Amino acid sequence: MFNLTTLAQILWTSLATGSYAVMFAVAFALVLKVNGVFNFAQAGLMTIAFYTAHGVIAGLALGGTAAFILALAATLCGAWVLEKFGFATLRRNNASPMFVFIFTIVASEFIAYIAMLAFGTWPKTIFPQLFWPVQLVGDIAISAWDLPAIAATLLLLLSLWLFLRFTRWGQFMVAVADNASLAELYGINRQHVYMLTMLIAAMFMATGMFLYGTRAQVQPLTSLEMMLFATLATILGGIGRIWGAALAALLLGIVQNSSILVIPSEWQGFLLYVVLFVTIIFFPQGIRLPAPIRRLAR
Amino acid sequence: MDYVYSIIILIGLFVILASSFNLIIGYGGLISIAHPIFYGLGAYTSGLLARDLGLPVPLSILSGALVAMLLSVAMALPALRISGDYLLIASIGFQLGMIELIKNLRFTGGASGVSGIPAFLVPSFGRGIYVALVSAVAIGVVLLVRWIAHSDYGRAISAMRDDEQAFAALGRDAKWIKVSIFALGSAIAGLAGALYAHYFRFVTAEQFEILMSSTILTMVVVGGLKTPWGPVIGAILLQILPQAITFLNLPPVILGPLQGLLFTGLVLIFMFLRPGGLVRAGNTWRATGAGRGGG
Repeated sequence: MFNLTTLAQILWTSLATGSYAVMFAVAFALVLKVNGVFNFAQAGLMTIAFYTAHGVIAGLALGGTAAFILALAATLCGAWVLEKFGFATLRRNNASPMFVFIFTIVASEFIAYIAMLAFGTWPKTIFPQLFWPVQLVGDIAISAWDLPAIAATLLLLLSLWLFLRFTRWGQFMVAVADNASLAELYGINRQHVYMLTMLIAAMFMATGMFLYGTRAQVQPLTSLEMMLFATLATILGGIGRIWGAALAALLLGIVQNSSILVIPSEWQGFLLYVVLFVTIIFFPQGIRLPAPIRRLAR
Repeated sequence: MDYVYSIIILIGLFVILASSFNLIIGYGGLISIAHPIFYGLGAYTSGLLARDLGLPVPLSILSGALVAMLLSVAMALPALRISGDYLLIASIGFQLGMIELIKNLRFTGGASGVSGIPAFLVPSFGRGIYVALVSAVAIGVVLLVRWIAHSDYGRAISAMRDDEQAFAALGRDAKWIKVSIFALGSAIAGLAGALYAHYFRFVTAEQFEILMSSTILTMVVVGGLKTPWGPVIGAILLQILPQAITFLNLPPVILGPLQGLLFTGLVLIFMFLRPGGLVRAGNTWRATGAGRGGG
């Protein structure tokens, strides 16, 4: 049961399927870090991304590229509307973080109900089939979906890192995340930064959801359930640490996929929620590795 | 006529649920949305005890409330180490975890739920008596919440909610207040669940999902937090409005989402246009200086 090939296969599959999990976690962690919001409305934006792509292919009979571009555009529009008319208004009204949080959940549900009305409650996929050709490398099965998914994730992560590290607006985002009031004193328009953050997060959501929808079936409420995984990864990785969230999402995926060998699949959901509950109570600031001890040179 | 009775009973049950939720989220300021799971635990406990162990229904109903209360304490004791949005996420984890547990256990009927729950009062006295029972409990709960709000205990709850540090500095035990209010609210939800189970005679775990949380939250937000009558108005309004849509004779695939849209749309409208709800209780949603993190 635990031979090397099986473990290698699990590791590879986890790495591949971790691509979308990493993107959802990074999007969630980024908005939490910069905008200070537990943005469950991300689920609504993910729903928009998926059903736009599905609609473009199933309804308009266009190709995958057009579906992705339109899904991305729709998600960006959704994020813009959400920030402009939702979060910005709530900030102006000095709403409490809890009020904002409830707004994000209700907004997600609102979008899910619209999707149910438009597309029904049956599971849907972006392409008519979920089958991807498989190639054996050694004894490990690698599907044609895996490599583009991993490449897209790495590309987006690298772009985000470069953006935050080397561009003016990226540094504005870091400044606002550190201290929004001080950043404003230095002339940074924090409202613009909040909007930019939402739009960047939307790009991750749309890409992640496009990848997910080409591999698995989606219902209108699927995104809301997937958000809990992103939340768990963000908390485990440490609030405010985007790369920590990405790593945690990847590790969680590996643990979840490996545990299938010892724990029946019907208990996986239960375990995820137990881990979520325990983590947030006992490690609300995430799991931090001990800092290296530095000694003065004699 | 049976349909009308069922609607009145549902309204009564939601009045109980919304009022007890208001006690926790409004008066207590404890942002947990796991309320439906305590409703569900009451329903499951009472239904299973009466059906499988032959316990008299009144005792089963009380047991349902007791189990909901005990499990709420089990959740609250560790969970109340944290507050704010962290508590909210922990409550979601608890709620969904319990639902998964119920779905996977054999004696709870798994995903198919529990059917054939013994009826209470209706076979002997008719549906009218059950309407009277639920209405009496609903009125009792509203009056209890009103009494609590105006009592010394209620003032202590408000003080704890508004400034926990100052409250603790005066030598008061904030943790006891939090756990007790959580236990009381959840026990009342369990009671409502038990009453539901012995009238509708079928329960399934999916009834107590996040969507149910949003339904109860909607009633409280639309009606008005921190007021005894706000959740009552919210529950009545939001139970009657979707019924109006049912008369349009739409197919279930459209009706369900449309009712959901109505619920969530109303919350969104109220959040932006009337954040205090229909019955206002001051500046409800402003931050009160509560901390964000754990501890």
